[in-house]
Amino acid sequence: MKIKTLKKTSNELKIEVEGMGHTLCNLLQKRLLEDENVDLAGYNIPHPLASNSIIYVRTKGNVESKSALLKAVEKTREMNEKFRKEIEKALKKI
Amino acid sequence: MWSVEIVEVEVLEKDERNVRLLIRGVDVPFVNALRRTIISEVPCMAIDEVVMIENSSILQDEIIALRLGLIPLKTDLDSYNLPQECPCKSEFGCNLCRVTLTLDVEAKEETRTVYSGELKSENPEIVPVSDKIPIIKLARGQKLRLEAYARLGKGKNHAKWQPVSMCTYKYFPKIEVLSKCDACGKCVEICPRKVLAKTENKIEVRNLMACTLCQDCVEVCPQNPPAIKVEHEEDTFIFSLESTNALPPERILTEAIKILDKQFNEFEEQIKVEKGEES
Repeated sequence: MKIKTLKKTSNELKIEVEGMGHTLCNLLQKRLLEDENVDLAGYNIPHPLASNSIIYVRTKGNVESKSALLKAVEKTREMNEKFRKEIEKALKKI
Repeated sequence: MWSVEIVEVEVLEKDERNVRLLIRGVDVPFVNALRRTIISEVPCMAIDEVVMIENSSILQDEIIALRLGLIPLKTDLDSYNLPQECPCKSEFGCNLCRVTLTLDVEAKEETRTVYSGELKSENPEIVPVSDKIPIIKLARGQKLRLEAYARLGKGKNHAKWQPVSMCTYKYFPKIEVLSKCDACGKCVEICPRKVLAKTENKIEVRNLMACTLCQDCVEVCPQNPPAIKVEHEEDTFIFSLESTNALPPERILTEAIKILDKQFNEFEEQIKVEKGEES
């Protein structure tokens, strides 16, 4: 996974990520939009055959967009962990 | 609508191939990420390269190689590495990233079918999931001798490396029969999945899980507005998975979560490192 910054201002961040398709981007976008500090979040996959995506985050100005992105990643992992624990518990019961 | 606090998983059905889960407290992007990861990222074994030693059958080498590739193999994820991650760094592979299978058959007396069970593997753990998958039909005197190399791979590169034959989710249905219902029974008749039942002048939901949200019952209802409501829960899903038997279904699920986690870790690291130029 390689990241290239395309645009960076005080509250905006536009990055190009190699090897990140709809699977991760859609999940990340949803988590970003749930953050009340985030004004706008979206992603674009310029070519359907290449798994390069462009992620765009704009915050309302009180937090840096990079920290919003990290928070979203953290939230996703937390969710994964919860799900993993639950599924192990549920499978043990059988 | 969505909160990290409560995630609940209930196993509805499970056997050695299938698993059906009821997942509560998650959203569409999450289950979809899980589904997509299972289909395209969870590795499993498949024949990747075939060396033909003798082929006097009527099928071309390529066709046989393709057919061999599509045979699902029992996979041991713990003792094998993905070729690109293997420390051997060799194009040909080593004992940690490659399994050799051989096939040496001849139709001596009469026409016969060669089955997957006749493939001999160097590792008794890595064998076809079924012995009864036909590979080729040989006429009398025809011979087939080959060496095949199985490697781990991912579904995004070729469908033969998909550990599942089916992996889907659907919304959990929510059916409500309103009090103005006069129990005409039309919705019971039309339902293709027999979800509804009529008992003593009342319409009852008998088999909620089977509902496909097709809305036929709503459309057929003579009352306006309809006396039956078919909706779905926003945060509950029925997740079904059918393994090819390459990996046990529970292993596929835990592996998918691990891969998702790994990818996000990698992404996080990259973001932290990336300084970026001001523009």
